[in-house]
Amino acid sequence: MMGEQPFETIVGAHHAEIYRYLRRVTSRTAEAEDLSQETFLRAYRAYRTLGPDANVRAWLFAIATNLSRNHFRSEKRRRVAHEAVSVESREADPEGPEHEARFGEARTLLEATVQGLPLKQRLAFVMRKVHDLDYEAIGRSLDCSAESARAHVFQALRKIRVNLNGHELPPAGGVETSRLSMERPR
Amino acid sequence: MMRKPHGCLEIEPDLVASATGDAEPGAARRVEHHIDSCDACRREFHRYREIEGVVVALRRAPAAVASEVRAREGLESRLADLRSRLVSYRVFPSPLGRILIARSEHGVSLVEYLHGGTDLKASRLSRVAGVELQEDGAEIETLYRELLEYLRGDRTRLEWPLDLRLARSDFHRAVLRATAAIPYGAVTSYAGIAAEIGKPAAARAVAQALRWNPLPIVVPCHRIIGTSGALTGYSGDKVGLKQQLLAVEGIQAKGKRTDSRVARDTLYHYDRNDQHEYCLPTCGDIARRPIGPVTLLASRELAGALGLVPCSACRPDLHPLAA
Repeated sequence: MMGEQPFETIVGAHHAEIYRYLRRVTSRTAEAEDLSQETFLRAYRAYRTLGPDANVRAWLFAIATNLSRNHFRSEKRRRVAHEAVSVESREADPEGPEHEARFGEARTLLEATVQGLPLKQRLAFVMRKVHDLDYEAIGRSLDCSAESARAHVFQALRKIRVNLNGHELPPAGGVETSRLSMERPR
Repeated sequence: MMRKPHGCLEIEPDLVASATGDAEPGAARRVEHHIDSCDACRREFHRYREIEGVVVALRRAPAAVASEVRAREGLESRLADLRSRLVSYRVFPSPLGRILIARSEHGVSLVEYLHGGTDLKASRLSRVAGVELQEDGAEIETLYRELLEYLRGDRTRLEWPLDLRLARSDFHRAVLRATAAIPYGAVTSYAGIAAEIGKPAAARAVAQALRWNPLPIVVPCHRIIGTSGALTGYSGDKVGLKQQLLAVEGIQAKGKRTDSRVARDTLYHYDRNDQHEYCLPTCGDIARRPIGPVTLLASRELAGALGLVPCSACRPDLHPLAA
């Protein structure tokens, strides 16, 4: 069954978000550019076989996640990527953290911590906390259960908690309260 | 460092989830209850809430705009390239043997009898450089169904968009276009097509071009025969297939294999004339004139559809040929 919308619509609707996702889980803009292009080329090849009711966004995240995992599979490559983090994250995002002086230091530290997370935790964390995907979708992307996906995010947050130890953070009251509600609809 | 009490360890995942806005309702209530009586966990809870504040800021942060635009531009150009190279195909059984149908974004690019095998390896498609092949289901299935209807005689036209890029030259493409214009139930010759494309001496080259026809059946090279009426060749030595395809359209051939000829006495004849009159094969010497200048027609309905009128001398309207 061919996808309902022309593929251009899919690119228009999702490219920016998929790129940002990949930019966050990789360490270089060049990698994110390449992986985002690969994601959509792969999606284009498979698009006509996609069911009409498919969740295109979650599907694209799954492709992007899969490609990232393949990309990082080589340990060596990964080490090189890590070494590049400190230099590149600063120059690659000119309109990024420095503009928000108040959050600046904590955010830079958080970003560095996220970059240093084991891959599955990093992917799960970014999908959940930055892109708000549900755990079912994250689990499908990572070939694991929704429970495992949740555990990855938990482990990621614990590490972030440890790494931010001793740093003063802006008080919690200043952020979107809806995100902090105790009961979150699933 | 002191070990956390068991109850605190146990509730930790729920506490983190709850503080970061990610807990299920039951868990959130348990956490609330726990931190009412546990100072350490309450501090943890608030610390995680602060962290969540920074995480939310992360979510709001814009990505580097320039590199995102660059990625998008790169994608558009790679997509355009992929689109132009992507060819999807499928192999089907048919009354004429296994057939491969392939299409690109422009249209159907290949219909091929797989004589030497049953899959892609037997196809010339596997030897075309620069294409990306993809086995496809639904879209080509529709083409296949129409083709079967055609081969059963339930359909007289295959109105498919065609992609002639697999033809070998512009001359070949001109031959294919002229051939595609020969209607269902009509027959002309290689020389007739050569004259049609303005190269009257190129009958042999026309035959060569049709030998490499990437779209048999759809571009009906089976309707092109020798000037004498001999079927000559088809898809290598498969003159029998040509005979079958012509029979579906109401054109009978006599004789065996290499000797087989169209039975002109069973067909209407049209020799180009200002009155647009078509004739019975018994009208004067028309049945001895070369095919090419003369077009053979399977039925009076076809002649009518082409805007032809019955000859006023032999009156095919009064003396129809036996069906």
